Amino acid sequence: MSSALTLAPAPRSEAAEQVRADVREFLAAELAAGTFETHVDTWLSGVDPAFSKKLGDRGWLGMTWPKQYGGHERTAMERYAVTEELLAAGAPVAAHWIADRQSGPNLLKFGTEKQRQDILPRIAAGECFFVIGMSEPDSGSDLASIRTKASRNQAGDWVVNGAKVWTSNAHYSHYGIVLVRTSPADPANRHAGLSQLLVDLSLPGITVNPIRILDGGHHFNEVVFEDVVVPGDMLLGEEGNGWHQVTAELAFERSGPERFLSTYPLVAEFARRVPPGDPAALATLGRLSARLLALRQMSLRIAAALDRGELPNIPAALVKDVGTTFEGDVIEEIRKVVDVTPSLDSPDPLGRALAEAQLHAPGYTLRGGTNEILRGIVARGLGLR
Amino acid sequence: MSEQDLVVETVRDILAVHEPFVLTPERPWDAGLWGALAKAGLTGVGIPEANGGSGGELADAVAIVRTLAAGAAAVPVAEQLLVAGPALLAANLELPPVEEPLTFALGDAVTAHASDDGDGPGRFTLTGVVTGVAWAGTAQHLAVLAVGPAGPVLALVDVSGAEATSASNLAGEPRGSFVFDETAATGALLTEAQAGELRVRFALARAVQLAAALEKVLAWTVHYAGERQQFGRPLGKFQAIQMELAEMAGEVTAVTALTDAAVQVVEGRSGDVVLAAAAAKVRAGAAVEVVARLAHQVHGAIGFTQEHRLHHLTRRLWSWRDEAGSELYWSRVLATGLLVTGPDGLWPALTRVV
Repeated sequence: MSSALTLAPAPRSEAAEQVRADVREFLAAELAAGTFETHVDTWLSGVDPAFSKKLGDRGWLGMTWPKQYGGHERTAMERYAVTEELLAAGAPVAAHWIADRQSGPNLLKFGTEKQRQDILPRIAAGECFFVIGMSEPDSGSDLASIRTKASRNQAGDWVVNGAKVWTSNAHYSHYGIVLVRTSPADPANRHAGLSQLLVDLSLPGITVNPIRILDGGHHFNEVVFEDVVVPGDMLLGEEGNGWHQVTAELAFERSGPERFLSTYPLVAEFARRVPPGDPAALATLGRLSARLLALRQMSLRIAAALDRGELPNIPAALVKDVGTTFEGDVIEEIRKVVDVTPSLDSPDPLGRALAEAQLHAPGYTLRGGTNEILRGIVARGLGLR
Repeated sequence: MSEQDLVVETVRDILAVHEPFVLTPERPWDAGLWGALAKAGLTGVGIPEANGGSGGELADAVAIVRTLAAGAAAVPVAEQLLVAGPALLAANLELPPVEEPLTFALGDAVTAHASDDGDGPGRFTLTGVVTGVAWAGTAQHLAVLAVGPAGPVLALVDVSGAEATSASNLAGEPRGSFVFDETAATGALLTEAQAGELRVRFALARAVQLAAALEKVLAWTVHYAGERQQFGRPLGKFQAIQMELAEMAGEVTAVTALTDAAVQVVEGRSGDVVLAAAAAKVRAGAAVEVVARLAHQVHGAIGFTQEHRLHHLTRRLWSWRDEAGSELYWSRVLATGLLVTGPDGLWPALTRVV
């Protein structure tokens, strides 16, 4: 197969297995103490700053970053084990998820020394949360068409005007990394003239309006910028390099276990209901498990590649395509073999998990790049474009 | 170039002069290819020299099997190098010469009775019918997992003179039956665990073949889409076709990642051999529907003909996914194994498989 798609197998990491055991023990204690309840898709909807702080206290945020920035200099394989355990338990991880997964690594790579020192230790402590400022009302998959504009004023600060949408948890977050147009659009080079700004969401001129998803849940927002003055030293990376920087985030954004474990709590609940010896239900659980095991190996290969300093964007696109398809299929496969009515009010935990999974399902294959966009990237990796 | 790369290169060179052909009862396997492989010592890779083999590791044998599977090679190399050979060695039974094709079958309806004390490697007689035997009628020796009064028995039978029924899988590969009536065999008692591992090694051998064939079908389809012009441009420039090829690539990548990991577990990496191989077989089998369907869709009518090469692999994919235990069988084995400590043990079990 094309070498652009294949990665070397991930080595087994003893350190990762050790931290996995620690996280598992912590989660069992928290569940027993009733500090959280298991839910589906908690990396979008499970906001609990106190829980995030606990993870920070234990050294499970900013795990791979240098110690001088509050990190713990551990491997991507160890971080993989931690995130996987949190997701499998359906723990409330949404508050810090974006900051830990991609904003921090982005700052580490492109930020100034001052930006890193100011912000990274707070992310690692579980005290500072981020949003992604990419999509706009008229720019979904076609990200290069964004119109939010930033121009320098006489003081050298940036004046930002425009709006971002689908901004998860902006109502709880402290900063956004906002993709803006800093030079007029050039039809000959659509990716030029874009930059990333590090924006304090408490600045005057920023309005956060809720966008409720179809079940009424408030996770997404519209973030409107009206003559927002962003200090000049809050440019992230280089002016005009925004497209490259956004692309560099994608291996982090698209390859992690949250791209196939969003509905794992439903699988776990289903396992509790497999009647002993029921051949159809056992076969379903076996099939789903085989798919999950393959996805883990794909994702682990990427974690190992990140540890080698690679940014495997094409394999990451594959994980997200195959993984998010699986997240939705889980619902249908389970429905075929268990007679349960989904309802958020169901006294039956399986009925509740099915309801949560179903109502969030449209998002799985949209967020972080639609599966059609991802397949286009894969097609490029296959040499077709 | 590593030693393994050299071995693969040698297999490729040999394959280059042995094109796949349509298998028929008159010409049910590629005897010429087998002869060339045997002459190059490739039918003994992974088997120690002391036992008449060519030495090398399991990984080398896997690499050979992958290369041959991708080439739709009609020879019992997977059975000999990955299943029967290692099983006979592990049971301390004497291997037939590696130049003589050796196959493997699950003989759940074959009973084995000791014709001596039966305490270890010894003489047995076999009675019953073994069906769906890979390469029946072409292999000279059959290692069969039979049922003995004291537990499973691995028996080795010379089948060169035995009558096999004429039956084949969807690719025309021989899958006939043998009837045993107090047929003499050498054999050894196995523990249930050893018998279980033998079953999964058979399944993993098919998973390895499936993975290699799936990769090749993707490569052929990408190549065809780049070459075939319609509406004034290559098929691969159409987004509809790109979506299909990307979906195939996702399936192939998933199968390869899990199959490679399962092979590593068999080689000694920590994990659960039975569940890893079961999962690999289930995942590889599940990919066949998507990959074979889309490969034919992209190839269009020419890929539906006997003249085109595509069927050499797609017919094997449709066959292999149900051999050595179906997806249904292995999915139940996997689920049962994952639930062995109860439903709350599912997640910890999943993280220990590979």
